[in-house]
Amino acid sequence: MRHERDSYDILDRALRLAGTPEADAVFISTDQNISRFAASQLHQNMAEESAWLTLRVFVGASMGVATTTVFDDEELARTAAVAREAARHAGAIPKFSGLYRANEPTPVLDTFDEATAQLSPAEKATALRTMFDRGRAHDVDFAGVYATGASSVATGNTHGVRRWCRITYAEATVIALHAKGSGYATRRERRNDRLDLVALGDEATLKATLSIDNQQQLEPGTYDVILEPPALSEVFEWLNMIALTGQSFEDGSSFFVGNLGKRLLGENFTLADDSLDPDFLPFPFDLEGLPRRHYTLIEQGMPRTPALDTAWADRLGMPPTASTWHLGSPEHGAAYHLSMAGGTSTREELLRSTKLGIWVTRFNYVNGLLEPKTALMTGTTRDGTFLIRDGEVAARLPNLRWTQSMTEAFSNIEGLTAERRNVGMWFNLFGGTRAPVAKIKGWRFGG
Amino acid sequence: MYHPTYNPPRLRALFEAVLSSLAGRARYADIRYTATHLQHVKVRNGEIDLLSSTIDKAFGVRVLVGNGWGFAATSDVTEEALRRAAKRALEVAAASHIASTQTIVLSDVEPHVARWESPYQIDPWSIPIEKKIHHLQNALEPMRGDARIHQVAGEISCYRQEKVFASTAGSFIEQTTTQMGGGIEAVAIDGDEFQRRAYPNPFGGDFQAEGWEFIERLDLAGKALVVRDEALALLKAPKAPVGRFDLIVGSAQLALQVHESCGHPTELDRAMGSEISLAGGSFLQPDMLGNFRYGSDLVNIVADATIPGALGSFGFDDDGVPAQRFHLVENGLFTGYLTGRDTAPFIGRASNGTVRAESAARIPIIRMTNINLEPGDVPLDQLIADTKRGIFVETNKSWSIDDLRLNFQFGCEVAYEIENGKLGRLLKNPLYTGTTPDFWRSCDAIADASSWQIWGLPNCGKGDPMQTMRVAHGAPAARFRNVEMG
Repeated sequence: MRHERDSYDILDRALRLAGTPEADAVFISTDQNISRFAASQLHQNMAEESAWLTLRVFVGASMGVATTTVFDDEELARTAAVAREAARHAGAIPKFSGLYRANEPTPVLDTFDEATAQLSPAEKATALRTMFDRGRAHDVDFAGVYATGASSVATGNTHGVRRWCRITYAEATVIALHAKGSGYATRRERRNDRLDLVALGDEATLKATLSIDNQQQLEPGTYDVILEPPALSEVFEWLNMIALTGQSFEDGSSFFVGNLGKRLLGENFTLADDSLDPDFLPFPFDLEGLPRRHYTLIEQGMPRTPALDTAWADRLGMPPTASTWHLGSPEHGAAYHLSMAGGTSTREELLRSTKLGIWVTRFNYVNGLLEPKTALMTGTTRDGTFLIRDGEVAARLPNLRWTQSMTEAFSNIEGLTAERRNVGMWFNLFGGTRAPVAKIKGWRFGG
Repeated sequence: MYHPTYNPPRLRALFEAVLSSLAGRARYADIRYTATHLQHVKVRNGEIDLLSSTIDKAFGVRVLVGNGWGFAATSDVTEEALRRAAKRALEVAAASHIASTQTIVLSDVEPHVARWESPYQIDPWSIPIEKKIHHLQNALEPMRGDARIHQVAGEISCYRQEKVFASTAGSFIEQTTTQMGGGIEAVAIDGDEFQRRAYPNPFGGDFQAEGWEFIERLDLAGKALVVRDEALALLKAPKAPVGRFDLIVGSAQLALQVHESCGHPTELDRAMGSEISLAGGSFLQPDMLGNFRYGSDLVNIVADATIPGALGSFGFDDDGVPAQRFHLVENGLFTGYLTGRDTAPFIGRASNGTVRAESAARIPIIRMTNINLEPGDVPLDQLIADTKRGIFVETNKSWSIDDLRLNFQFGCEVAYEIENGKLGRLLKNPLYTGTTPDFWRSCDAIADASSWQIWGLPNCGKGDPMQTMRVAHGAPAARFRNVEMG
């Protein structure tokens, strides 16, 4: 991982070679170790040092973008020439007022843990072996991934803005496989010592072995559901794409359009983009250099704002939300730290209050492109689906297909836990989802 | 004519030197270099939405020490960084030993010294950016004007990957693949009604291992008004019905059906549980090989990495095994898996050469090549004429399938009623669901080669970290009886 001085040197040279008065650049370098396991064997194990630079140049208000993994002056000059050439042919971005200049201070956040950065593949393998041995006592094998890494993130522009931050991450996903069922647990943290691999293994084991001798089928229909944070996270990944980006708002496909400030969803549904929460995955700025702030996407059921980069904020006449995670991306802002507000309940209380319902550990292969205006999505359940009857786990269910409008679902939340958990997203280096357990009335399960 | 980003003799000498340093310590080792070039042009509502260019270079070193795999990669393509990666790969392999007791057997491979290139006529990078923009604008501008057409967009993308592979098995293989993709779409909105229509496929269009000649052949401008008119017509179309119907699935949609319900479950690593944490497993288990009825007698599905111009073609996989053609499903029976050198011995076979990585920075894993449903012998017109009452669906809109690749639901952009052998009304928002073997067993007619087309999918996701692979699927239209819709 490159440190501050190296990162700024590369950034400065790129901006100098940009050759236009207006340009910005991002330089990210990462060292990571990703250990994948299956059948309680560590079967894929990789280490990677990577670095890339994206340079965005403006010719007038026209933009071109180029990315490279080589950082000598010759290659940076070539990258700049490619970006300039693109900008010369691109049309002007309407109403674009220029790159960020204010250079306000960014929040001071605890983003890096030296012990996590230095964790060796051997230490991780030893921790995995402990978990594997513990699983054998319960007749379960484990599959999953244990990833740790450190990244250096630098961004800057020709108006003198310079930002640098280093982050660490530790993430584990554990599937426990028993002859009669499977269970799942996942967590992403900035510090490895908050991960507790053994506890995740135990949690997955509990789900894999719960009610294994009482398996039932279920007729398609509408049931109350208790959704664990990984299930909500899958839904939010799609919600981000179809409803929360600047692009989806501008092109009219988002259900936010025409509904800003209106009570479209339930009063107990609040969704924020929050990278300041020390218990989540803190990060101090976006890749355009704007200081991150807590902002609410949906407040007590009312859509407030989509995530907006500076160009789309100018275009729409709305404030930018410091939500740029790719320079020049057509998404024009995305919420990478999705934080759903919790409630006051415990998981046990939500389960106990359920007359007839389905407790869902996670979803699989959700797709949110069916009908974006109602956020109609489909998917299946996976790795622990349970029938709840009279407040108790009555049976283990097979994986079930569901097709459900999320505007309807988030109008029907009946309870939320106070406790929330961090869940990673595969495409998201910077953040993830922080969500409670949610009890939702009337979820539609099909065949 | 492009100029390679590397010097072959110099790189070969470096690879051989590093492999020599590993030879005494590893049972097997390989090194890869990739330089991946991407260019992407997107035009939306008359504006340039995206103009980006990427070059991504990497070295990757993979070692097998005892029964532990180790892999290390770097984006720093210097000798010093490569040697550091080799050392790190050994450390990672040693760590793998701590939490692994399995025995790894590699199927045999012949050493190959070879060079392979995908064919093209017009180098994508020889076409100036302004011509690509103009090509899209020329197609898109006539689509605008109606207030209900909220968005018209088009994309052209260029891809080239140079790959050099060397292994302790004695191989030194250079490969270069050049690919292009393109397509257009219209989004029509009227109140809460939202409809999208794309040509030739959504999500960037169609993709082939060809040059600019492929983009010209797509004739985007010639199709533009049809796309616009269908998007508008869908706003007023009745909703596709719910119930059980005889379903004729068009070539583009059936290609994705093959991908999800045959391609993925025949990946042997999925069947062995190696991918269960992210992508999932497979309902097709090794004891079903040769005896499980996957589909009707008519169904023949072939993996073929040797088709010129197809996205999933190559000379050698990332184990150094030559590209091959073989059946996955033959006359309806499940007969084959996609395998690699360290998985094929599990079913007593040799690798059939399907291990690939997105770049040298990633571990090679089993990936689809070109997975094709073989054509039947009925012209599509006749197939429709032989259908008394049914639905014709085409062009994917949404996709979802469970972790074992059994329970699926697909949404399509368009559907048409079939009444007494004739295509009737346009229908919107068609959905069909089923379970994989039941669906393929219900196939009672496969259209002939005149409706067969190979479709490029540049975004197949698998692995952790996620690797995006470029694959392809050939399919004709086909009929399936009594399928659940809605």
